[in-house]
Amino acid sequence: MVLPLAKARFGPARSLLLVLSTHWLLLAGPTELETSARMIIEKHCLACHGAAKMSGLDLREKEAMLSGGRRGPSLKPGNAADSPLYQAAAHIGELKMPPGKESLSDEDLKSLKQWIDAGAPWSSEAAAKHSEPAWWSFRTPRKPSVPKAGDAEWTGNPIDAFVAAKLEEKGLRHAPPAGRRTLIRRAYFDLIGLPPSPEDVEKFVHDTSPGAYAKLIEDLLASPRYGERWARHWLDVVRYSDSGGFETDIYYPNAWRYRDYVIKSFTEDKPYDRFVQEQVAGDELWSDNIDLQGTYQVDPAKLAHLEAWIGTGLYTLGPELHESNMNIPKLVYEQLTDAADTTGSVFLGLTMGCARCHDHKFDPLPQRDYYRLQAVFAPSHPEDTTVVPRHYLEDYRQSYTKLMVVSEARAKCLLFERKVTDRVTERLKAKYSKEVVTAFEVPEDKRSAKEEELAAPLTKEVKTIKLEQEFTAEERAEHLHLLEQIGKTVLDLPEKDASQNIPYDGLMEVPAASVLVHYPPELVPEVHVLGRGDLSRELDRVGPGIPGILDDGTIRFTQQVAPETIATNRRKLALWLTRPDHPLTARVIVNRIWMWHFGKGIVSTPNDFGRQGQMPSHPELLDWLATEFVDRGWSIKELHRMIMLSNTYQQASTVGGENNLKTDPENRYLWRMNRARLEGEELWDAIHSVSGTLNLKMGGHPVAPPLADDEWSAVGSRGQWPVAADPTEKNRRGIYILNRRNFSYPMLQAFDNPDNAVSCPERDITTVAPQALWLLNNNVAFEQAQEFAGRLVKYAGAEPAHWIERAWRLALDRSPTAMERTKALEMLDALTKTSAVGHIPDKMPASLSALPPARAAALSKLCLSLFNLQEFMYVD
Amino acid sequence: MSIDESRRGFLTRSGIGLGSLGLLYLMGREPAFGTIPSASANPLAPKQPPLPAHARNVILIFLQGGASHLDTFDPKPVLSRLDGQPVPASFRPESLNLQFTNASEAKLMASRFAFKKYGQSGLELSDLFQSLGQHADDLAVVRSCYHESFIHGPALNLLYNGSLLVGHPSIGSWVLYGLGSVSDSLPAFIVMSDGGVSGRNSKSFSSGYLPAIYQGTMMRTEGSPIMNLTRPASIDSSEQRLMLDQIRDWNQQYSAEREDDSRLAAHIANYELAFRMQMAGPELIDIAKEPESVRKLYCLDDEVAGKFGRMCLMSRRMVERGVRFVQLISTDWDGHVECDRNHLENSRKIDRPVAGLLADLKQRGLLKSTLIVIAGEFGRTPIMQGTRGRDHHPYGFSVCMAGGGVTGGKVIGATDELGFRPIQDPLHVHDVHATMLALLGLDHRKLTYFFQGRTRRLTDVGGDKEFSARLLQA
Repeated sequence: MVLPLAKARFGPARSLLLVLSTHWLLLAGPTELETSARMIIEKHCLACHGAAKMSGLDLREKEAMLSGGRRGPSLKPGNAADSPLYQAAAHIGELKMPPGKESLSDEDLKSLKQWIDAGAPWSSEAAAKHSEPAWWSFRTPRKPSVPKAGDAEWTGNPIDAFVAAKLEEKGLRHAPPAGRRTLIRRAYFDLIGLPPSPEDVEKFVHDTSPGAYAKLIEDLLASPRYGERWARHWLDVVRYSDSGGFETDIYYPNAWRYRDYVIKSFTEDKPYDRFVQEQVAGDELWSDNIDLQGTYQVDPAKLAHLEAWIGTGLYTLGPELHESNMNIPKLVYEQLTDAADTTGSVFLGLTMGCARCHDHKFDPLPQRDYYRLQAVFAPSHPEDTTVVPRHYLEDYRQSYTKLMVVSEARAKCLLFERKVTDRVTERLKAKYSKEVVTAFEVPEDKRSAKEEELAAPLTKEVKTIKLEQEFTAEERAEHLHLLEQIGKTVLDLPEKDASQNIPYDGLMEVPAASVLVHYPPELVPEVHVLGRGDLSRELDRVGPGIPGILDDGTIRFTQQVAPETIATNRRKLALWLTRPDHPLTARVIVNRIWMWHFGKGIVSTPNDFGRQGQMPSHPELLDWLATEFVDRGWSIKELHRMIMLSNTYQQASTVGGENNLKTDPENRYLWRMNRARLEGEELWDAIHSVSGTLNLKMGGHPVAPPLADDEWSAVGSRGQWPVAADPTEKNRRGIYILNRRNFSYPMLQAFDNPDNAVSCPERDITTVAPQALWLLNNNVAFEQAQEFAGRLVKYAGAEPAHWIERAWRLALDRSPTAMERTKALEMLDALTKTSAVGHIPDKMPASLSALPPARAAALSKLCLSLFNLQEFMYVD
Repeated sequence: MSIDESRRGFLTRSGIGLGSLGLLYLMGREPAFGTIPSASANPLAPKQPPLPAHARNVILIFLQGGASHLDTFDPKPVLSRLDGQPVPASFRPESLNLQFTNASEAKLMASRFAFKKYGQSGLELSDLFQSLGQHADDLAVVRSCYHESFIHGPALNLLYNGSLLVGHPSIGSWVLYGLGSVSDSLPAFIVMSDGGVSGRNSKSFSSGYLPAIYQGTMMRTEGSPIMNLTRPASIDSSEQRLMLDQIRDWNQQYSAEREDDSRLAAHIANYELAFRMQMAGPELIDIAKEPESVRKLYCLDDEVAGKFGRMCLMSRRMVERGVRFVQLISTDWDGHVECDRNHLENSRKIDRPVAGLLADLKQRGLLKSTLIVIAGEFGRTPIMQGTRGRDHHPYGFSVCMAGGGVTGGKVIGATDELGFRPIQDPLHVHDVHATMLALLGLDHRKLTYFFQGRTRRLTDVGGDKEFSARLLQA
């Protein structure tokens, strides 16, 4: 495949690389001093003292600083102590800046002072706009040299060298390596989201060969379970959901194809540049993908193109204000807004959304840029397309009359019901006056207000007729017969196409995907800059484009809307995003992957690399990773290897000394590994995995597990939650659970699944009592505990001590201590006694039938207790 | 903290001391501060406030999106007169930094709502809050609040957390940190929102850098507020207690080696709380037994006001049961377009329920110890945006307070004749926070937490104009 623009460079003026760390200040020459001052001022001051010129003060250029604002000049070059700019920032005197925000760090203050004392150098070259964007994340990353720091033994991996340099600088000391059991448990949850089996653990613990850990990582990366786990991270970022939200919460029957596409992409280690290209422009880049005619056998290359097209499903599953359908321009605008915001957050790590209504207050993103990005998507719209060969459609048509048979059987039943209703209505009418009956007989939509009022009581009675109570014996039998007929015609529908290869969806529905397609040129909506984002205030019309600050002019979008150009916009955007020298794309994804391993990003605001975001904790490391990632073919699995094989990753998570904790309580500089609480899906999967019930079937329609009564109370209607008939379906992995915008599966919601209205860069981790209530009382938790108990008995026979041993190994990946064993046995005996007096579950799994019921119940309760252990739900 | 110490702490909590305290609370007897057994190992143990306390509980009613002060609490006859005129130069429109509008070009917009005098005090409120007006003599309106952020995100953070940035503890968390919890069977800080698809905003109840045990618990407003309150049929209370004791021992063993991770301590505490919630929860959420008069008072059967009414009723029931801090979020006040229509719809949702809440609290003698605060993240502009809209306006807006020692029927501070900026008693959000803490007997300068090299507090370096004395004054 040839991507014509993929090798294009960003332009020549990229020679000046800033090493963004804090110790560069110490060796700062004039240029670096100036740059650091520019960055500090930009970050802390320009929001108010930039274009806004609060108090008349503009700090964007030195000249303006010298002339100052209402309080007079802000700068006395050569004398920081006398410069109001420094005084305010250092909180010397009455004026304290910035107001209500974090004050400047000591380091920032020091460099600001040095800069002023050095005469506040302000080179005209640097001031010449946009030769090199001022903000670090808008400049192409250059691979920094790996620092020499730390003890050689620890810093074998470049990642460790970068981390060690920072630790040294901060006076921190890295933690000792984690134990083998900790390490395997960490690697399993991290890569595949499941606990290791006791056998896996023992094998790894006793494998002392030097390559054992690397081999473990390889095995896990090769597992399809890996794709399921890491797809879930990505689905958070792309605000994945199976429905549109708002009042109607319209269902997206094909969203799961995008979910499966993501799983497959991660599993196959699809290069990230290709992954981005497919989602943004799979159809435009590989446009011959729709030709599936001719035969049941489709050329694999074409199937790959179809897959790329399904990637554009990203843009079809956002929140949809369904009521907007009444107003097409509004609906189109909402979709374009979602497309621009999502593209900005997901791929660029920029909060483009702010620029919808006004020029971005903090980043150089004028409102026009935002609408130019919308215009990239304007010729496209979501549509469902069949994903099967033409022959299959012919089969479908052949069987179509079977659907009509169902429909007729249903009509017959409804006619019968109407007949009975009419009879009852006549009887009810007799109770009312002639006047009422006359009013009632006027068709409902034609009644006057008075007639409406007159007819109301009778109408209500008729509408609440309970047919079941009105049927005669014969009618009841007839009705049942008619219902049965409907059932039979439904069962008669074919489940698969005539070739018997491809199953239909649901009741004989043609398998389809929701993807982006193009309007005919004459129907492409115009995009205007909108005053305050208000659709009724159209300003200039804009054509497609990328944000000006990142645009070096090498990408030209065609502004003309014509048949030959219409399908090139997203293609250009995709190729631009995936240029090897793109300043953001690689940094943003590398930072995300890092965060999903360590619990915290190098940039701790993964969706905001702009000025409002946080500065990277390890800037050189981020750039090293980003450039290395691109050099290694955008391979995410390679990135996992680099990270997980580092000593930084393999550190223990327990405290490594008082001083560390005091200096860096948040572990920003990674002097240890961060402890992770299992995410909702991981906890769900772990419970089912330990209980031996996890159904590893992959893909397909989302699954709605049964709900408890109190859970049903939060569902709009039963029809919104189609409970799976097959009991093994409720044991699928968490990623497959139906995910509606208006109703999250309550267990997942209790454990902090993301609000999927917009891109979620990082999950909250709360610790609240409703989580404990789920684990103690929910019927799923207790059912699984019983399965867990049954599994122990099946494996370990009749000896309680063996159950305990196995239980600990399954749930916690270790043997119980002697004390734990004693306590567990005591608990088991105590619970056996209490269970014997009437506390035995009505239904227990067959695997427990070998035990006396009280013993079985007690063991189940012990197993339930294990699900509630911190050691079970936290990963060190 | 050693295992033994912390275990003792939990035994204290599970023992008779706090159990009977909760009961006292239910019976409407206020436990005297200082009589509570000290349980230093329990971070949620009730603490005696260092200063005289007037309020024990807070209900924060948050008008998210920003309610217009000009259409609710701050009448501006001059603005009515100048409707449609440009902003006079003396009001320095050029110096107003607004999100969407340019004050130098825009036109003034009068409120469409009439203001009336209510109660003996003659406090003026707009027609949007006619029901609330019935309690005018209990309301203190601060008309001179301000802050510096005209963008929702930072402004919300500021109101909730005292900082424009995220990562700071919410005010509810600070209050728990300062006063602990007297409810051993319900979360001490509960949040409810009437919002739809994105009603969850964990920033509003985050414990930030404070230990995780101080974070708020979100309760549902659709369906059952708390799920999984019923034990599996075959596990009775004594069996569960037995299981929980063992779970706790094992969890303490795990967390003892990881004592710097505050989530683990919070996790352990949550299990004790969950155990008690099984008793207290169903009783809390069972509003079916409330008499018809109460259902009416809170408009429970009203299609428009019913939802917020349920939230208000729940908050009264929570306060009755010792929940320290309740946060009710009324979403959707962001009236950029047709602000009048937007506010009318919102007031229909909350006016009667909030008035009902005040009446009910008063009648039960709870108003004097419960501080009610009604606030949004900012006010709205005196100038018109687009079609009768109003833009964000943080430079002058109103906060309304009642109960908790506040003597009502008064106005504090004033904005200029058009409602742009305070001209009398300018009070920053930090001052409002400091005042809320003061009413609870907490000194905002002393309620601190050391984090990342700095002593942190809710009011940062502000709060110097704490004004509780004026609220308390008859």
